[in-house]
Amino acid sequence: MLDFFLGHYAYWFVVILMCVGLYGILFKKNLVKKTIGLAIFQVSVVLYFVSIASKWDATVPVRDSNIPVEQVANYLNPLPHTLMLTAIVVGVATLGVAFTLLMAIYNRYGTLDEQELLEEIQ
Amino acid sequence: MKALKIIILILFASVMIYAASDLPYRGDPDNLMHAEESITGTKVVGSYVIQEAYNDAKTPNIVTVILGDYRSVDTFGEQVVVFTAGLITILILRNRRRLT
Repeated sequence: MLDFFLGHYAYWFVVILMCVGLYGILFKKNLVKKTIGLAIFQVSVVLYFVSIASKWDATVPVRDSNIPVEQVANYLNPLPHTLMLTAIVVGVATLGVAFTLLMAIYNRYGTLDEQELLEEIQ
Repeated sequence: MKALKIIILILFASVMIYAASDLPYRGDPDNLMHAEESITGTKVVGSYVIQEAYNDAKTPNIVTVILGDYRSVDTFGEQVVVFTAGLITILILRNRRRLT
């Protein structure tokens, strides 16, 4: 039972962070807060992939001449790290576009509240 | 409407925790993702990359080898995405300045 907890608590923390992000997306009325929730959701997915790529008694994936490269167990799996590098870059780019659109909306309508925006548009 | 949102949130959390209980233990070197060969006997991509990256590109950093050599075209596409995002940002902000 303790073994199960120690093996899985990192995933549960990720799930909690994911729920915080989803709470921000669903319940918050302000569009900036909604975008922050989206960013938290994205970060939780990145954290999940990094935590599942970990390996006990292994070093970072940089080749060290003292540690034999033939034993795969000596090095972390580099593929999830690479994919998450891509995901972080694309996430930052889309977040920048989202904030720019929010600036444009605020300049056009003078508010960022969801309900007020719906009334203004109709 | 609010009750529906709460139900969605709780359902999401319970499904995620149920799915997480099936995952392999964190950091366990024996799990299938870190094995040298998959079930069908072929080499797993991650372990192949760890063993052969230095011979292929003569760079010690394995992540750099994957990003810059194995997936270089992919990385180029990613930079196109970043460039497009910057272009959209500049265009929207310039448009605002012309209106006021």
